[in-house]
Amino acid sequence: MNSDQQVISVESVHMEYSTPGGTKKVLSDISFELPKGSFASIVGPSGVGKTTLLRLLTGLMTPTSGAIKFRGSTVTSPPKGLSVVLQDYTRSLMPWLTVEKNIALPLRKSGMSKKQIADAIEVVLEEVGLSGNQKNYPWQLSGGMQQRVAIARAIVMKPELLIMDEPFASVDAQTRFDLEDLVLKVRDDFKITTVMVTHDIDEAVYLSDFVIVLYGTPAKVKEIIKVDLPFPRNQIATRGSKKFSDLRTKIYGQVRGLQ
Amino acid sequence: MILKRLSSILLAIWLPICLVVAWWFGSADSTDPFFPPLSVIWETFLALWVFELVPVHVVPSLTNLFTGLSVGVVIGLSLGVFIGTNERVAKYVEPTIDFIRSIPGVATIPIFILLFGLDPIMRISAISFASIFPTMLAAIQGMHQTNATIIDTARVFRLSKADTIFRVRIPAAGPIIASGIQVSLQVAFVVTIASELLGSGFGLGAFTLIATDSFMITDAWTGVILMGILGFSINFFFDLVERRILRWYLISKKIA
Repeated sequence: MNSDQQVISVESVHMEYSTPGGTKKVLSDISFELPKGSFASIVGPSGVGKTTLLRLLTGLMTPTSGAIKFRGSTVTSPPKGLSVVLQDYTRSLMPWLTVEKNIALPLRKSGMSKKQIADAIEVVLEEVGLSGNQKNYPWQLSGGMQQRVAIARAIVMKPELLIMDEPFASVDAQTRFDLEDLVLKVRDDFKITTVMVTHDIDEAVYLSDFVIVLYGTPAKVKEIIKVDLPFPRNQIATRGSKKFSDLRTKIYGQVRGLQ
Repeated sequence: MILKRLSSILLAIWLPICLVVAWWFGSADSTDPFFPPLSVIWETFLALWVFELVPVHVVPSLTNLFTGLSVGVVIGLSLGVFIGTNERVAKYVEPTIDFIRSIPGVATIPIFILLFGLDPIMRISAISFASIFPTMLAAIQGMHQTNATIIDTARVFRLSKADTIFRVRIPAAGPIIASGIQVSLQVAFVVTIASELLGSGFGLGAFTLIATDSFMITDAWTGVILMGILGFSINFFFDLVERRILRWYLISKKIA
């Protein structure tokens, strides 16, 4: 496929940091592309450079060499049509703004009328199961609810690409399952191409079409594994299937460097 | 809840009450012209300040104070945000700021007299100048301490520069900036009174100085007491407003 038809394509990206002790190579020759509507997870051992890759994808940093192309054009700063959910919702939601004002932030330059914005907020709050919470402040909500607000904010502008950094790392297990299913539902309803960084291999398999395994120093793409589990996925049936456990065993081995 | 409130009020006022009572009875039989009985001071206080002399001496002081403070805070906040968000500028100007800010505000009054004469403009300029620094330094510090996640969030959502500053960075630094403004307020109050000690017929500082020079010691005492009451009230109202604006911060801190 031509790279113009990919939502995002990463073309032999290298990344180095200069440190007092010399240059530190973090990423080496990373390449992959994601077709429209796909869901990819990036996994790898901790400290391998997942967050660096994610910051490159968002345009918050630019690679030392190589290019990241979003809809065919090289990303040098956060592009229009890209949205994020960050790990630490307590820091990424603005505590001085109500839920609705937080969600409205990405729409500041959209040129939408007040009424259109209010309607859009109602739609996404309904989508994440938080109808009627417009006037609450983030700190009045539980951790899981705050992360739902962050998801609502991320999808309100109907992005083409959604990037999530360990989105469920700071919530309890039950909430985590609920949020994973919410992400599947959002994906189904909004058809957003999504990249998620996670250290949880089960979660990566459960949610993704592709799992990109990073390994080594500097990190390379060890393998891109296609997850051909059927939809709709279900916490019990999907996670209980033979295919699921085969995939997770395979990826687990790769992340551990056993294969 | 009500009980808790009551006990916190009691905790705050028991000492002032004891001190006033001690002063009242301790000075009751005083014949020392420098330390008149508190009962006499109180009668004079009512006669002078409820409310005959308020327009002559209190209004000018407060007008100067708030005009000067407003100008100083606006300048301090603008400069602080500008310097705090431009690392390169900060590197070049911070040493100079550290030098200038260590000059006591009161000490600059003679310079402003040279520049503007004994005019209200002189007083307002001196008050503004002194109140710039606490606010500016707090704003610089607040900008430096904004956490990276929140700045990243603003960048990814492509907020304009103005939105990033006014809707994200200034509110995020709100608690630090507010404490800077509070210090500015205290400094401004000192400079207000001090500036009236030179070449002024109006204002609380001028009143107290003239009363002392004319051996109207009781009047001077009322001036000093009124300054205390005003200073306390202004701070009290500042706290109220601050608590209202930074409600999100105070509550979210309590929850966390």
